[in-house]
Amino acid sequence: MKAVEVKNLTFSYDQEKNAADDVTFSVEKGSYTTIIGHNGSGKSTVAKLVAGLLEKKSGTILIDGLELNEENLREIRRRIGIVFQNPDNQFIGSTVRDDIAFGLENHCVEQKDMDAIIEEFAEKVHMTKYLDHEPTRLSGGQKQRVAIAGVMAMHPDIIIFDEATSMLDPQGKDRIKNLISELHEDRGLTILSITHDIEEVVKSDYVIAMNKGRVALTGTPEEVFAKPEELKKIRLELPFALRLQEQLRKEGLTVTPAITMEGLVEELCRLNSKR
Amino acid sequence: MPIKFEKVSHIYSEGTPFRYVALEDVDLEFREGAFTAVIGRTGSGKSTLVQHLNALLLPTSGTVIVDDWQLKAGQDAKGLKKLRKKVGLVFQFPEYQLFEETVLKDISFGPKNFGVPVKEAEEKASNALRMVGLDKEYEQRSPLELSGGQKRRVAIAGILAMDPDILVLDEPTAGLDPQGALEMMRLFRDLNKIHGTTIIMVTHDMEQVFGYCDEVVVMENGKPTIHTSVQDFFKDSSYCDSLNILPPALIRMKDMLKEKGFALTDDIRTLPVFARAIAKQVKHHG
Amino acid sequence: MGNITLGRYIPLDSPIHRMDPRAKIGAMIITLIAIFFPAGWIGYGIIFTAVSTVIILSKLSPVYIWKSMKPMLLMMVFLLVINILVIHTGQVWLKIGPLSIYSDAVMQTLYIIVRLLLMIMITTCLTATTKPLDMTLGIEDLLGPFKKIGVPSHEIAMLISIALRFIPDLIDETNRIIKAQESRGVDLKEGKLSERIMAILSLIVPLFVSAFQRADDLANAMEARGYQPGEPRTRYKILKMKGPDWALLLGACLLLAGMIYLAYFA
Repeated sequence: MKAVEVKNLTFSYDQEKNAADDVTFSVEKGSYTTIIGHNGSGKSTVAKLVAGLLEKKSGTILIDGLELNEENLREIRRRIGIVFQNPDNQFIGSTVRDDIAFGLENHCVEQKDMDAIIEEFAEKVHMTKYLDHEPTRLSGGQKQRVAIAGVMAMHPDIIIFDEATSMLDPQGKDRIKNLISELHEDRGLTILSITHDIEEVVKSDYVIAMNKGRVALTGTPEEVFAKPEELKKIRLELPFALRLQEQLRKEGLTVTPAITMEGLVEELCRLNSKR
Repeated sequence: MPIKFEKVSHIYSEGTPFRYVALEDVDLEFREGAFTAVIGRTGSGKSTLVQHLNALLLPTSGTVIVDDWQLKAGQDAKGLKKLRKKVGLVFQFPEYQLFEETVLKDISFGPKNFGVPVKEAEEKASNALRMVGLDKEYEQRSPLELSGGQKRRVAIAGILAMDPDILVLDEPTAGLDPQGALEMMRLFRDLNKIHGTTIIMVTHDMEQVFGYCDEVVVMENGKPTIHTSVQDFFKDSSYCDSLNILPPALIRMKDMLKEKGFALTDDIRTLPVFARAIAKQVKHHG
Repeated sequence: MGNITLGRYIPLDSPIHRMDPRAKIGAMIITLIAIFFPAGWIGYGIIFTAVSTVIILSKLSPVYIWKSMKPMLLMMVFLLVINILVIHTGQVWLKIGPLSIYSDAVMQTLYIIVRLLLMIMITTCLTATTKPLDMTLGIEDLLGPFKKIGVPSHEIAMLISIALRFIPDLIDETNRIIKAQESRGVDLKEGKLSERIMAILSLIVPLFVSAFQRADDLANAMEARGYQPGEPRTRYKILKMKGPDWALLLGACLLLAGMIYLAYFA
């Protein structure tokens, strides 16, 4: 079952150049899929198209088998949540409580049920203590946690993270990354994460690499990172373990490819103990 | 040229309920010619610290000494302009300071403000643009039409064109993609190593500290608690562990291998050296 | 900029803070009308006592109220001087050389000053005890009846609350841009006219660029979370008038009735 199916999707901001050019990919239900690519490669554009925030020029987008069009937009908005990059610019309410309520109001949840829902999801993102705080008194990471709670409260099936950790400090990043894994593992949500964080990519189920508005490579992390030359060509970074393996090869030591450090350590130990 | 903090405190909104001590009794000296990283959690006082270097902020008590300037509380703003030419400060997300019609005009805005004649300022701008890796054809474009990464370069060129002796950078690569960040860091390293510019950089990225810097200052609760060489800071993961930060990948990998019985020395800093050390051992055994 | 007191919300916990914003806005309007009846010193004395009671209940410090009046002092002195020069009726109270000060000049000025001070006390009391968001909710509800004649009361309220939400962010942003341009040698305090125009441009353009970026992001975030202007939506914050709220309104109405009585029937 596919959570998202994108076929021959094309979009342009101006008439000159397509920001998304004949993009085709699919996201398995319940998977953790990452989209990578340098800035300007079209990844955020694709995310906005999938969330129904931009109008495509041509192609089709299916969410849970339901076509994204004018008619289904409201239903699809409920099924897909999106957390954006800038923590300040997506905090709409004047307090944490009001911000979580904002989505509920839009989806016409009855007022008497709201408090319970707000408290439930504030608890999930560990923000219960801050329910009545204004955004100026919160850190970037805390604001992103509120954004996640706001999205979660609508019970979506799919959550898109559009570089949601890129403006946070390391502590904030870690907490959000853990929270995303929790959503994926414990609740079985489909995660579509647009990211530059190579360690996150290594741990994901499926990778889509984009370049110049097109899909350049797709596959599991093992499959994608098995083509280092192609990744370098589209200005993408390799995980540390692979960079080290390249150097080891120069020193005349060839090892079975491993994309994680743990894997590489194991492999080196195996070689080291072998007589 | 000394760059020194002597018993510097900075208190925001003194005498109001919003009183906030950002720096407390800071004694610190930055080494001239070095590439120093300032690290620490959000709210530890890093940004407040570096904004004293070009007198955007003055100490509420104590003295900041930069070259011939002695910066103290309540000082007259006259004469600070020359200091700001000497100490170039690049803010976080500097692309938001672009405003001119053309890239060339925007980059030469700084030098012109410091009294450099238009022609010479534009020459400096042209050079600075080349330094940040953008070619001449960008000179006449509007800075507002460029991509995010290009805007960042133009903004940084705007500071470089002022020919500062000291360059202060506040998270210069935040929001860039890895390749863009890499190119930016190489530029700073060249400025430091080739042109001898003293660089003080606020960052959260340990890979950058490890890969490019000479010294580390750790800020905690408005005070520098550690000031040491990068070599020493990353000799193993003990400093990082005590500060609860993730060490660079190379250090983590080295620690994992050491645990498995590999003999690896503390001075390994680059990937080729690391690979050679590993290969030597494995071959020796194998 | 830290000493702007007029119109700022002061977070305290008091019975007045907890009141329904509609009751507070309503009571304010009624009391403001009451002030305009020429009810004499007794009348103003009554209003002053009533407003002071509310201020005491709201736990606001008298110093704060005084601070918010201070900017008006100069205007009051100015008014007094003008009136002394212009009004020549009543008894002569004081003669300084060619200048005679008449009783009507002083009394009329005092009347105006007292009214102004009362008005400031009342409005300060409202803004200091009512969260901006509650204020917008109150305005939305009070405008509710006009929806039928095409007043988009909800959209107006949403607009105000978002503007209020982003004011602190925009102030931060402005300070950041000022510092960034100062680092590039911009001098906001002195310089030739042409330099000053450039200095101001170097602030305004970036500020606009970033405000538009924010607006764009915000529109996306609101849309993604299902906001559709004009579509039906429920509301989390529901205002409920309770005993004290009605009491406040009733008090204001009594005050108005009292002033009318004092002005025309006493």
